Amino acid sequence: MSKMSSLFRTRKKKIYSLDDNLFYLAMKENCLFHYKHNKDYKALLDRMNFSPEDINSYDDLEKIPPIPTLYFKHHNLLSLKNNRYWVKATSSGTSGKNVSLIGLTFTDLLRGWGMVRRVFSYHHLWSIKPHRYIVFGYEPHKGNDKAIAKTAHGFTFVSPALSKDYAIRWTKDGYKVDLDNLEAKFIKYSKGKTPIRTLGFPAYTYFLLEQMKAKGIKLKLPKGSIISLGGGWKSFYKEKVDKQVFYDLAYEVLGIDDKHIFEFFGAVEHPILYTDCRYHHFHIPNYARIIIRDVETLKPVKPGQVGLINLLTPMSVGTPILSIMTDDLGILHEESCPCGEKSMYLEILGRSGIEDIKTCAAGAEELLKGDKS
Amino acid sequence: MILYKGEIYPNEKQAELISSLKEDMYLTLQNKETLSYLTVIDACDKLYQRVINHEFDDIALPLLKALNMPYSSLERYAKVFSKEGLIKKIDIELGDLKNGVLSLDENNNRYYEPLGILFHIAAGNVDLLPAYSVVEGLLVGNINILKLPTGDNGLSILLLKELIKEAPVLKDYVYVFDVPSTEVETIKQLSNMADATIVWGGDEAQRAARSFVDIHSSIISWGHKISFSYVDSGVTNEEIEDLCKSICLSNQLFCSSSQGIYVNTDSKEELHSLAKRVLPIFAKVSKSMNTLPLTIKAKNSLMLYNDELEGNLNNIYKDSGVSIVVKEDNKLELSYLFQNIWIKALKKEDIVNVLKPNKNLLQTISINKNLKGKEDIVSLLAKAGAVRITALGDNSRMLAGESHDGEYALRRYIRIVETIK
Repeated sequence: MSKMSSLFRTRKKKIYSLDDNLFYLAMKENCLFHYKHNKDYKALLDRMNFSPEDINSYDDLEKIPPIPTLYFKHHNLLSLKNNRYWVKATSSGTSGKNVSLIGLTFTDLLRGWGMVRRVFSYHHLWSIKPHRYIVFGYEPHKGNDKAIAKTAHGFTFVSPALSKDYAIRWTKDGYKVDLDNLEAKFIKYSKGKTPIRTLGFPAYTYFLLEQMKAKGIKLKLPKGSIISLGGGWKSFYKEKVDKQVFYDLAYEVLGIDDKHIFEFFGAVEHPILYTDCRYHHFHIPNYARIIIRDVETLKPVKPGQVGLINLLTPMSVGTPILSIMTDDLGILHEESCPCGEKSMYLEILGRSGIEDIKTCAAGAEELLKGDKS
Repeated sequence: MILYKGEIYPNEKQAELISSLKEDMYLTLQNKETLSYLTVIDACDKLYQRVINHEFDDIALPLLKALNMPYSSLERYAKVFSKEGLIKKIDIELGDLKNGVLSLDENNNRYYEPLGILFHIAAGNVDLLPAYSVVEGLLVGNINILKLPTGDNGLSILLLKELIKEAPVLKDYVYVFDVPSTEVETIKQLSNMADATIVWGGDEAQRAARSFVDIHSSIISWGHKISFSYVDSGVTNEEIEDLCKSICLSNQLFCSSSQGIYVNTDSKEELHSLAKRVLPIFAKVSKSMNTLPLTIKAKNSLMLYNDELEGNLNNIYKDSGVSIVVKEDNKLELSYLFQNIWIKALKKEDIVNVLKPNKNLLQTISINKNLKGKEDIVSLLAKAGAVRITALGDNSRMLAGESHDGEYALRRYIRIVETIK
């Protein structure tokens, strides 16, 4: 069995106990694979004077040229022939252009499935009890290749679903945000006994909770209900609220305490399932590593320092996503976490750059952004 | 915050105040005499004196510190509100019309009237701009509604409120609303009340305005412009330092900020040697001015790293968060902003060919003092569409009486009325 596959068979109990040697070997294997099968990736590494043979220890992983997500948006970097891909997913850019295309093979999906199965099992998310699903994301539609839509849809199979409702519904005019429908569903379902699971964009979840609070709605969701969040705040970064503010609001409006709120983190270019612990920390799972890089020199910085987040995983043979550079800023924490897990945890601080720009053009065009869909 | 008839109100009062706005403005038009520019200038000058006498230092000093600007630059910018500056502006922009009723021929007279009501949508990248835009409207007697830019720091309302204190008659001519950009219907409503909507911003901003401005009301655009520098090998290190200072001060966000340097050469080596000269000066100035936020440094590094991956390894010069990219084409383009400039070759003979297609985009071009063939080059740059040619480092200077992007604002805020004698 390849080292890559071995890594993705990490036992449930060992998910957050990092095996650096196995990880390094799997990464080298993955790097060699893409170098051999992907001439564009090979050309890129050659241009950067890097060869997979240069990876001779775990510490060498930082030398693999990380590929910025921006680069994926302008280049098709798939490593294999089209018929090898079982899933092609794009990032959730709203304009339809400038999105990354990531292709996953059957092997990649098997690895991903093994990971999801164990991570959900570790966090006790599997259930045979029926649930009602409220998804703060896209209703599935055949034209939607966004990874976030696929993963949100997948999540509705974690337990038997009695019903599924979506915040962004498919209509004859395309996707439309319909929070009022979800408000009505919350009210209706809170009167029943079937637990509710929500999943999706924190911004939409927050907007609805705020809307319900403004109307004086206070519910107590059925026992066993959970709120789960994923996909980040996207273009609503300005509305982003402190986690505690969010938890307090969820408790006030839905009667859900923060023990029953989960957050997931991942990216189409880094399809690893990060799930926050009881103390809401994203510990690094054995399937991945994180390097924080200095904002000027891009050299790795020490834990506790702010920098750009570089994510590593040898998961995919379909696409060379072994080391990707996000445009997010973050900090790795090495302090011990009361949850008992030993691996460091990631704090995401927000996106670099453009949000802060006020240019000559920053006046009236903002008006067009009136529709939050 | 809302400013309505000289009083400050909380944003919660917005709907109530807007519902009475049209009636209040029409009453002013109906009952009040046309505002005299002398009244406006007098009020502005009093306010100007208070500013330079340090009365507003508690607001101005932190702002200057954040922008790393010396006090002298505040004095320079404030001077456009001085009596001397505004009289000069009136003289230049209105000419004879400032004298009131003029004879057109033996049977007819002519004079100017304000357009009536102006709705200003100001950009947020220059702190004094929203207030200045309103003052221009006032100078020729208009009633002004101002939509504050997103993230306005409160300076605009403060200045306008103080202006009204100096001349209480102005309270009927100034209305400021802090309407969030997402409230499109409210913005449409305000725009519909106005004779003209004044939009400071780029193509996107203009397109947005076209989608909501009433067909019978006009759009006056102070649009997005591109500015740059043009030098030859005679450029001195002092001039380069001045240019770097102006780049770091504005972070290249103003229409007048230099986006890059064209060099009058066809030698690639000359471009690289200029980049090598500029880099240490640029890095030193950037460090000392310290105007790059961490998130922007991160974005800069990512863009440049991406360029490196794209195969542009040998043309990037970077240090301490600033960068210079030597490019082989001569196309005029925006830089990555935030202390990233390009250097390109542009022979004097090619100026018109290369720049003329950007006719409505060109604004300021800064040049070195001993540029060889200066007169010819200045003439060619102007023919290609430039409206301001300055010394290096003076890209963003403000002068009393100068035009906006080659046009006189006051002329656009009035109409000429002809009457029989």
